Amino acid sequence: MEKRPRALLLKFPGTNCDAETARALRSVGFDAEIAPISTVNRATLDGVRLVVLSGGFSYGDYVMSGRIASLVTQLRIDGALAEFRDAGGYLLGICNGFQILTQLGLLPAGSLVHNTSGRFQCRWVTLENRAPDSPFLRNMPARFEFPIAHAEGRFVTTDPATAETYVAEGLAALTYADDVNGSFARIAGMQDETGRVFGLMPHPERFMRARDHYDPDWSGAEQGSGHYFFQSLFEAIADDQSKGASV
Amino acid sequence: MPDLLEQIAEAPADHYRRLRISSLDGDQLVELSQRMKLSLSLEDMRAVQSIYADWGREPTDVELEVIAQTWSEHCKHRIFGATIEHTIDGRTETVHSLFKTYIYTVSKAIMARKPDFVLSAFHDNAGFIKLDDQLAVCLKAETHNHPSAIEPYAGANTGLGGVIRDILGAGKGAKPIASLDVFCFGAPDTAPENIKADDVIHPLGILRGVVRGVRDYGNRMGIPTVCGAIQFDDAYIYNPLVYCGTAGVIPIQDIDKQMTAGLKVISVGARTGRDGLHGATFSSAALDTESHEADQQAVQIGNPIEEKKAADFVLEARALGLIEFITDCGAGGYSSACGEMLEEVGGEIILDNVKLKEEGLVSWEIFISESQERMVLAVKEESLPALRALADKYETELTELGHADGSGILKVKHHGEMVCELDCTKLHNAPVRRMKSIWETWERRHPAGVSDDSDAGRMPALPGLLRKVISDFAVVSREPIIREYDHEVQGNTVLKPLAGASGDAPQDGSVIRIDGSDQLMAMALSLLPEWGKTAPYEMGLACVDECFRQLVAMGANPDRIAILDNFCMGNPNDPRELGALVETVKGIAAAADAYSAPFVSGKDSFYNYFETKDGPVSIPVTILVSGMGIVEDAAHVVTGSLRRSNSVVSILGTTGGDFGGSVVARQLGGLAASVPGTDLAANLALYRKYYEAVKAGWILATHDVSEGGLAVALAEFAFSGKGGLDLSLDTLPVDGQPTKLAQLFAETPGRLVIEIAPEHREQVAAHFAGLAYAELGTATDAHANLRIEYGKEILLNEPLSELKSLWKNGLAPYY
Repeated sequence: MEKRPRALLLKFPGTNCDAETARALRSVGFDAEIAPISTVNRATLDGVRLVVLSGGFSYGDYVMSGRIASLVTQLRIDGALAEFRDAGGYLLGICNGFQILTQLGLLPAGSLVHNTSGRFQCRWVTLENRAPDSPFLRNMPARFEFPIAHAEGRFVTTDPATAETYVAEGLAALTYADDVNGSFARIAGMQDETGRVFGLMPHPERFMRARDHYDPDWSGAEQGSGHYFFQSLFEAIADDQSKGASV
Repeated sequence: MPDLLEQIAEAPADHYRRLRISSLDGDQLVELSQRMKLSLSLEDMRAVQSIYADWGREPTDVELEVIAQTWSEHCKHRIFGATIEHTIDGRTETVHSLFKTYIYTVSKAIMARKPDFVLSAFHDNAGFIKLDDQLAVCLKAETHNHPSAIEPYAGANTGLGGVIRDILGAGKGAKPIASLDVFCFGAPDTAPENIKADDVIHPLGILRGVVRGVRDYGNRMGIPTVCGAIQFDDAYIYNPLVYCGTAGVIPIQDIDKQMTAGLKVISVGARTGRDGLHGATFSSAALDTESHEADQQAVQIGNPIEEKKAADFVLEARALGLIEFITDCGAGGYSSACGEMLEEVGGEIILDNVKLKEEGLVSWEIFISESQERMVLAVKEESLPALRALADKYETELTELGHADGSGILKVKHHGEMVCELDCTKLHNAPVRRMKSIWETWERRHPAGVSDDSDAGRMPALPGLLRKVISDFAVVSREPIIREYDHEVQGNTVLKPLAGASGDAPQDGSVIRIDGSDQLMAMALSLLPEWGKTAPYEMGLACVDECFRQLVAMGANPDRIAILDNFCMGNPNDPRELGALVETVKGIAAAADAYSAPFVSGKDSFYNYFETKDGPVSIPVTILVSGMGIVEDAAHVVTGSLRRSNSVVSILGTTGGDFGGSVVARQLGGLAASVPGTDLAANLALYRKYYEAVKAGWILATHDVSEGGLAVALAEFAFSGKGGLDLSLDTLPVDGQPTKLAQLFAETPGRLVIEIAPEHREQVAAHFAGLAYAELGTATDAHANLRIEYGKEILLNEPLSELKSLWKNGLAPYY
């Protein structure tokens, strides 16, 4: 039997979407394992093809979201995630994970700050696929819906022009169809230049089945859009594996 | 005047004191209770005195504190256990324990009728029902009223944190999977000059603080808040009510837990501090302006991340089989948790082992502190190394407190001295309270009847009235609040609190998928405090009916529903207020019995009254009925919003003429009218029949008819934006001759509006033949109005977009 690609979910105190994200990864074929940060060292990444930072409130996010988690990560495995990426590994950050990846500098410069409404908001949004060739998005349609649930999801850059550049260059892989939180250029998700590091505020793991949609008659596809998101990634990693790429 | 405590303290040690109570007279006993904030009555203090006289010794301050916690209303439910002389319409009866007579006995009888459904009730931190052969689900609700009145954010924050720990402490540690929150507040637009006491927080401040408190705890814990309600009434200005509930899931094999001699007692989670002293006894007394100044110490600050780490620890420890017994640290702190664990087996707790937030706590402070985010476990000694490793893994603190020893005695040591040595079995017999209550039914008070023929003369035009009713605070959308709660975390919220094609239409509750099972859990709730002001018995019936009906509406099997009762009331020493409580209890018991929906857990909160400048203000007796029901197949989940524009819209249930307690009665300026009754037998027959139709796949959508009546239910049904409605009331099943006003706005229980695909029209009509069923009309794409005819008259023809805008934006200016 062919070996299932390994996904490792880093868990910080306060990470709370790890179980359903692991479930989503397993449902498309990954071998997924949750690793509390206290147990993580450089060797933990051996044989891993995908590192996932799932949603939640790492360390409570009482200071800037993702800040303490990024510092603890540096403390424990400084540089290891960048090496992992350079060796062909994939990194995915969802919601709080996106905030952490941004704080770690593994995604293009920017910050995720308080929504312009000043409020947490849990609702569904329409997203625009701006990077159809991305390994994370290649099975995704031009527009699709995911739920969001965040208070600090407003993506900002030092000046608005930089955000526009990200869109033009395809680094802003996902944008909101509508202004939902005040993000510059309506940016909802970012990828790095390798295309293997990806962060997004919406929650693909919450839309794995068609029935997860708020409209019982939703008929966009046989499965929920999140299924196709994770499936894209699984296929991309399986392709790499069959080509003999190694981490 | 010399301090009584100093006078009677014997050989004062710096960390505990023995108190000479044997020679105190009645006044001094009361003074001591007040001085130590024990909230014990003279009778209780005399009982304590006599227990110690029997033992031939004097108590320590630690022991008195333990007894006060054990006997507090919060822990012992002494009013629900009291002997009450109840007079109803002039007839007097004696109720020996409301709990035993109406809740426990009724539920036990139902459980006997339905073996293998309820797996645990009343004795654990939450009651469990069977989900499938492997898993069970549970639900628990608590109130956190007094803390939320004084410090809304922290009060609600720790209210939710506490009930989540109840779930973690149920069985050998259930996994929290969904939460509910229910609030009763003064109206958001209350004029500040109408608040007749100092230091009372305006309802808006309470509302915002409480919502944020729930939000920040639930969201950080990663537990979806999926269900809720808010009631607004002036009576809640001084005593807001905050109910928090959480549901959980556990493998059936992990429900039963046993204490045995030799087990180690450990604490996991946060450290212990001076925060939260006397919470249990504090919540067993009334509020006044001074409470806002003096009792800050009783309100704690929550730290959800500390609890999240402890939860991760507990769930993995349980999965690894490392837990023998577990309970949460709630009211009464370690004294309650360790007391519960060791009350039969006995054992020793070493307070020197407790990790403290600050130095200098004396023995009783350590033992009763209600510092948040602590769980107490009993484990085998050989499991300790694995548990320590697990604590390190999740970065939580594990402390060995002591052990169970089989002596039957609760022994607490500190600095090498025995500061508490109690035979807990001797403490079970707190004096039974004797109380008096009185109630007069509506019929008794209005023997000639009151005409509710308000159509004549004073009735405003129906379109305007509908707009008023749909804009009423009782009806308007809770969307601004719901959006602040993460109701989708864990990825299992199949039926969301706001759904339908537009994603923002109201639902009757929520349905949660359960990992590892093909069956799902529905959650719903009901409270109708306005009804209880004149008709508490009818309120009890209607609340059980509404909760049950919502669960069935969403697709739950009517034979697999369990409910919870959470009471709040004002002053139990006022016979009329207590009378309303007794009648409410009878009402919920009658309905639960008729529907065979057992109570599996419940709680009560008393003394929700406040001394204002104009005299005491009590809340109306308020019962929250919440429930869980099993939805046996994901295909059975029914949404509450119209799905097609070519479908048939029908009603199930009979509409009556009674308006009492309704939104329209309030809008029309307190219409004097009787509250609707509930035809339990007819309703149950209808619900069972409805469930068959759900399983057959004939039902597209269903919405319950509740606050605002049929007109509001139909408008809400169509808020999904799928189409307009062309309806007629000509064939509406009625009881008597309800007026047009009643047909549109009465809140008769037992009714559902349903949507049927045209191809199933005949089948459904035949299926419900002989029952209260009628087609009202059709959904249409010809227009987007709510159009309702009666005879040749068009009662309403209102644009749904306009109604929806009023409904959707009603609360937005205030939150």
